[in-house]
Amino acid sequence: MIEIKDLKKIYNGVTVVNVPHLEIKKGESVGLVGNNGAGKTTLFRMMLDLIRPERGEVLMNNELVAGHEGWKNFTASYLDEGFLIDYLTPEEYFHFIGGLHQQSHAHVDDFLAGLADFFNGEILKKGKYIRDLSKGNQCKVGVASCLLQNPELLMLDEPFANIDPSTQFRLKSIVKDLNKNKGVTTLISSHDLNHITDVCDRILLMEKGVIIKDIATSSSTLSELENYFGVEQSFATAVRIDEEENH
Amino acid sequence: MALLILYLLVNVFVLGFFLDTILEKAFPKDDLVVSFCGIILLYFLSDLFTRLQLQELPTLRVQPYLQLPVKRNSLVRYLTFTSLISVFNLWPFILFVPFVLKVIAADSGNLTATAFIVSLAGLTIFNNYLSLYIKRKSNLNGWIFLIAAGVIILIGLSDFYFHLFSIRKVSYLFFGYLVTQPALALLPVLLGAIMYYLNFLYLKNNLYLEELGSRKTGKYKSSTEYPLLSRFGSAGDLAANEIKLVLRNKRSKSALVMGLFLMFYGLLFYGRPGPIGSDGVKVFVGMFMTGIFIINYGQFMFSWQASHFDGLLVSKINFVDFLKGKYLLFTIVSTVFFLLTTPYIYFGWKTILIHFVMYLWNVGVNTTMVLFFANRNYKRIDLSKGAAFNWEGVSGNQWILSLPLIITPYIIYAPFALLGHADIGLTLLALTGLAFIVTRSFWIKKLEADFYTKRYTIAEGFRNK
Repeated sequence: MIEIKDLKKIYNGVTVVNVPHLEIKKGESVGLVGNNGAGKTTLFRMMLDLIRPERGEVLMNNELVAGHEGWKNFTASYLDEGFLIDYLTPEEYFHFIGGLHQQSHAHVDDFLAGLADFFNGEILKKGKYIRDLSKGNQCKVGVASCLLQNPELLMLDEPFANIDPSTQFRLKSIVKDLNKNKGVTTLISSHDLNHITDVCDRILLMEKGVIIKDIATSSSTLSELENYFGVEQSFATAVRIDEEENH
Repeated sequence: MALLILYLLVNVFVLGFFLDTILEKAFPKDDLVVSFCGIILLYFLSDLFTRLQLQELPTLRVQPYLQLPVKRNSLVRYLTFTSLISVFNLWPFILFVPFVLKVIAADSGNLTATAFIVSLAGLTIFNNYLSLYIKRKSNLNGWIFLIAAGVIILIGLSDFYFHLFSIRKVSYLFFGYLVTQPALALLPVLLGAIMYYLNFLYLKNNLYLEELGSRKTGKYKSSTEYPLLSRFGSAGDLAANEIKLVLRNKRSKSALVMGLFLMFYGLLFYGRPGPIGSDGVKVFVGMFMTGIFIINYGQFMFSWQASHFDGLLVSKINFVDFLKGKYLLFTIVSTVFFLLTTPYIYFGWKTILIHFVMYLWNVGVNTTMVLFFANRNYKRIDLSKGAAFNWEGVSGNQWILSLPLIITPYIIYAPFALLGHADIGLTLLALTGLAFIVTRSFWIKKLEADFYTKRYTIAEGFRNK
């Protein structure tokens, strides 16, 4: 589904992303973790052809992303509020996105009715423009617009960050359902290790632009990640574990 | 940008420096000092009116300090004092102080000159805080703004229209006495101080985020659809979105409203004798009236969508459709504006013919030119901010852009007009416009290819807040 070759992005002499090779197969659910500044969002943006890499290329379904539009037919993504047309009402926005995929208004309304639980009565028919919604509710709009597009590939950047606990659980089950039952490839970044190990079968750990770990999720993955990120708190133990793993 | 501000300042400075000669010309019968004293209050009245519309409330600046251990009194003082940092408070000094130094100081001595400057300062402060006070109040209740504006207009009308009293006489009454009694200068200062204190008290009692902010929890926002536009497919949907953009954001809306006001532009020129009322001027005026939206809104093109440009790039939007949407929007608005100019038929059918030619020119040539420059515009515009004195997104681009927009039609028209064949020039303008409309898909292809070489730079520029 996705193949990254020798991808490199440099800002002001600092390499922010450096991925020699990465392949994501159809139907995989991949989680991307890493501290702030690890290069997660930049990687996402390059995969979506929003930033020009210094070197290398991203292929989706064996077609270059840069300079081609084919990937837009099966890719849905929500990175931040910059993806939303914020002076529209949520309904107008959904109709617009649906219209781009040749869906009628009635079809869109039907689909949205199915998301009533996820919206929790806070999105539709509230008489607000998207810009007047809270960050969490904006995130709901963004995620819902992704789902509306019936994607084969779903990319979400920190979707759990601003939404309330109930919505977090609903979002998790939605993503799991898409992946397990509909075969949608999912690529999600998050700072919440519990959620990400719960949702994803494969975890990529980024540090300073490099993917330093690529692990299949198992029962020990969570503690492994906690050890990596907990390096400040339990300094002594964490260092020792790191040394062992480096051998 | 700094250049423009400098230019405006220099303009006012020159005006201030030659105020004595200007006044002499305007009121040749009156004594210079009398006419000067007469216009001061008149100026401050119009100053108040402009402030009401244009001056921004400096409120949210305190937001980061509200939860810090800073005394509320000092916060309020900070807020009220920083509001003095405004261009509006510079104008009266630049405008009047040169005259005071040149004429008053020479006539009546330094003490009187100081008294004049002190009262100018007092009135400026008074106006500053009065307008902010009214604006704050009208944030909670929109009627207050209308009433205040109405009162100012009524005062103006009762002088110039009903002749109930004369502001100039009232102004002279005070400033005339000021020449003999400099101590009177304390009166405006006192007024300013009272107004400051009123502001201070009001702010202190209302120092809560929801009351400070200009963001109101407004009324129900309903969804709108433009069924006619959806017949144009994706391009129509995009145009519909952009119409909503224009109507739902302050700054873009004022670009449209300004265009509507410009519909009266023709009245200044048409029907006048001599070159002012000539066809050559009509070409210019007609272009502005039918194409002001293209110029005014189009010069910031794509920047309007800066906040969601990433979203547009990853959506299933063909850039050709994106451009078609822009053309559609421009065509619709220009058509409406052209129809609005039809009453000018009063000045002869040829006026309308010229308007129509310039309409063709706008829809054909100017739209393409504007979109060509849009590909070279990397500056972000934050739509949530107001329009007045908002220089965001302004760059050298806009100045370069306006030149070809204004000059090109004349390159075609002027040679023929000078040789006495204005009609041929007009026909050529119309044909060029038509040719561009007919070959539009060719230009769209060109613009698309051009866009693909610049899209990363544009997107990155728009991401920079």
